[in-house]
Amino acid sequence: MKAILTDVTKCIGCEECVAACKEYNKLEENVPRAWHRDDGLSARNWTSIIHKPGPHYVRKQCRHCLAPACESACPVGALIKTDEGPVIYDGSKCIGCRYCMIACPYGIPRYDWDSAVPYIQKCNMCVERLKKGIEPACTSACPTGATIFGDRDELIKEAKRRISQEPGKYINKVYGEHDVGGTSVLYISDVDLDFLTFPLKSGDKVLPDTTMTAMSAVPPAFIGMGAIMTGIYWICKRRDEVKQHDNGGGEEK
Amino acid sequence: MKKVTIFKSVLWAILGFALASGITRMLFGLGSITNQSDATPWGIWKGMNVIPGIALAAGGFVVTAVIYIFRRHEYARYSRVAVLLAFLGYLSAATALVVELGLPWMVWHPVIYWQHHSALFEVSWCVILYLMVLFLEFIPVPLEETGWFPKVKNFLIKYKLVLVILGVMISTLHQSSLGTMFLITPEKLHPLWYSSLLPILFFISAVAVGPLMVILAVLTISTLYNKVIEKEKLAKLALASAIILTIFSVIRLVDMGIHGKFGIAFSGSWQSAIFWIEMLLVFFIPVISLAFKKMRYSTGALWMATISAVLGIGLHRANIAGIMLTQTGATYTPTIFEISISLGILSAAILAFLFCVERFKLWEVKWEDPREGLESKPQFDRAGEVWLGTPHIANRTVFSAVLIVTFAVSLAIIPYNRIKSEGVVKVDVREALGSVMEGDTLIIDGNRDGYAVKFDHNYHAYNDSLKITCGICHHMNMPLDKTSGCYSCHREMYTPVDAFKHDWHASPSGAKLSCTQCHPDGERKLADNAKDCSECHKDLIPTDATIKVESYDALSYADAMHGVCVECHKTEAAKSEDRAKLGQCESCHSAERIMTVEGNAIGLDMDKAFGSVVLPENEMEESVEPAKEVTDE
Repeated sequence: MKAILTDVTKCIGCEECVAACKEYNKLEENVPRAWHRDDGLSARNWTSIIHKPGPHYVRKQCRHCLAPACESACPVGALIKTDEGPVIYDGSKCIGCRYCMIACPYGIPRYDWDSAVPYIQKCNMCVERLKKGIEPACTSACPTGATIFGDRDELIKEAKRRISQEPGKYINKVYGEHDVGGTSVLYISDVDLDFLTFPLKSGDKVLPDTTMTAMSAVPPAFIGMGAIMTGIYWICKRRDEVKQHDNGGGEEK
Repeated sequence: MKKVTIFKSVLWAILGFALASGITRMLFGLGSITNQSDATPWGIWKGMNVIPGIALAAGGFVVTAVIYIFRRHEYARYSRVAVLLAFLGYLSAATALVVELGLPWMVWHPVIYWQHHSALFEVSWCVILYLMVLFLEFIPVPLEETGWFPKVKNFLIKYKLVLVILGVMISTLHQSSLGTMFLITPEKLHPLWYSSLLPILFFISAVAVGPLMVILAVLTISTLYNKVIEKEKLAKLALASAIILTIFSVIRLVDMGIHGKFGIAFSGSWQSAIFWIEMLLVFFIPVISLAFKKMRYSTGALWMATISAVLGIGLHRANIAGIMLTQTGATYTPTIFEISISLGILSAAILAFLFCVERFKLWEVKWEDPREGLESKPQFDRAGEVWLGTPHIANRTVFSAVLIVTFAVSLAIIPYNRIKSEGVVKVDVREALGSVMEGDTLIIDGNRDGYAVKFDHNYHAYNDSLKITCGICHHMNMPLDKTSGCYSCHREMYTPVDAFKHDWHASPSGAKLSCTQCHPDGERKLADNAKDCSECHKDLIPTDATIKVESYDALSYADAMHGVCVECHKTEAAKSEDRAKLGQCESCHSAERIMTVEGNAIGLDMDKAFGSVVLPENEMEESVEPAKEVTDE
């Protein structure tokens, strides 16, 4: 499975990746709109650079989770985790419910709020390039090698090698190795990256499992409720008949 | 005017408002009338109409189950009201969902794209199926009035029990699955509301509040049409609901206790305050007003208990579906247009409800016994205490007028810039700060975000080997100026602006020019036929300017700066190996660049240093003086 590793210590914040992404995916110019969040991502910016004091530059993009909450939430299967790694979006299936935006633990999917025919917008790891065996636009554009593309297992090894080589420099964690069940976009950093998620941490909890626990109870609940209701009906009917019989009002059927 | 007429007029007025908003939303997208955003993707329609609405419409399955499955025939009178309430409730929730969906015409997609792992998929299927069940449960009522399809009607009445049981089965699923939908958001939903028991809590609260909503409807009808109600019977039903509400609250509190959340509940945050308001509405007020026999049998207590519980459960659902959902610090206030659609859908449902109340025999006294079969037609007490008989259609003119007027008025007040979706946040550009570092280095921070680029003006201007003329950058200057800053025309960070200040030229406090001084007399006043700026301002374009000014639309500041710098840098970079880095972003946006306003390397008070831009007014006036003389002649 393919993945992207971003080394925050190497990023100079030049936003070449942002420009390359926009060019390859033919995204329109991004102008600030009232409905944008302050992280730079929008329907027209699938990746952005967040400035943190220091200076640190943290690239934000879809994490391409191994067990994506958006895929689990989508009622029509418009979001699919592919075997190659990317979580891709099929606008022709989408109904526009925006449940994926609610479900995503990283708050990644964005919406075409100004369009009468709106779609979800998010990074697809340049899946068309991947199919041709070319790396994503963003990693190929990076002048410093801060964000690199490769096999997920090998990138984790590389990340751990870098951390063990300079233990004082990095926080001893490969972000995305286990978070929400693992992601295909990994980070190593000298600055805490918890700001990329929401304040209440899901930790390593696999989010689709929370839904599946309840959803697996659906068929038994459906059949069971039918059986219980039919049973109650017969009991109540019998009760009425006995009462009627005792009152001498009629025959027992 | 009668109470009913006034009430209905208000509903029609809201509907008119909603229609205008709805049309705008469909034509120009969600952003045109809503405040929903990337941070708060669900707004009032989901938080008020859909998720609480489905709970409030649960009376349909609860009351029919009580009558037909538990065989409590004394409530048979309310069977049809409950079914109608549920049918219209689900219809209104479905309508709100359709308005809320980005691609409403794709609403049927869950039928063909099966996703067994999605709670919303399950809910959509159930809502579609249950709407059909409710339709079949209710359709005998109008059929009976019109006399159409008697066989269908009798068949449906005969097998009503099957429909009732189906209704209970389907409702159990989707009422709980609505709660399941929020299990996937542990990192966003506030801990006072997040619980792994959400599906069960949602189901129980729906069972409790459904019958209370039916009672509220009965109370409303009795007030509107001055009818007597069966207090004892309703109070008994309400008491059962109150007991279920107690179970709901106890489960919730025990669950909170197990997970040690009482600390948060007493933390004094605004969320904890809302939590206690919820508890008050859902638990304390309804239970206290129904616990004592004396109070229970008073209409006031019934009103209080039902309204409180309905509001409480509504608030509970709204909290989960929106208010407590985003922990990003983002705020969301619905626009009046969103609210109008929300209320408009409810108004339509209430109007349809009142239509049925007035038109059909909703108040059958006799319980339909499925065993009685086809032959015996259900008997109705036509002169019964509440059935109103077929009314003459009154007040058509009033209602139409109200609808049309509010529709027109609201179309007029929908702001044009929202329709055009020009929700662009303006980012004014400020002057580069110079001469404060060694030499003549400028600090360029156009959008005032504290991240500046250093620009060595001396190096660029006076390095003979570069052969740079002033005109490369200062390709156009303000009148009587030779070194106008880039910001004076490229005034906006991301969008192009008109460099020509038309209004200033026409204003009495500005250049005091009359129209004909620039535009030819007797022709339409267009930018094309206006005098060229250089006709009055001879010194506008320097002689060594390399960039040709073709129009007075100035590029955005970011584009202008990148355009003028990056082009040269790339050419220079191509010249020799050792300058290769010059073409890269980091040559300007380097780690050395001044990072923050507070902690920048040179200790500048940037805000003090960058005063507001003042136009050289005297010079401007001088430069337009020749034009003034023209006026005098």
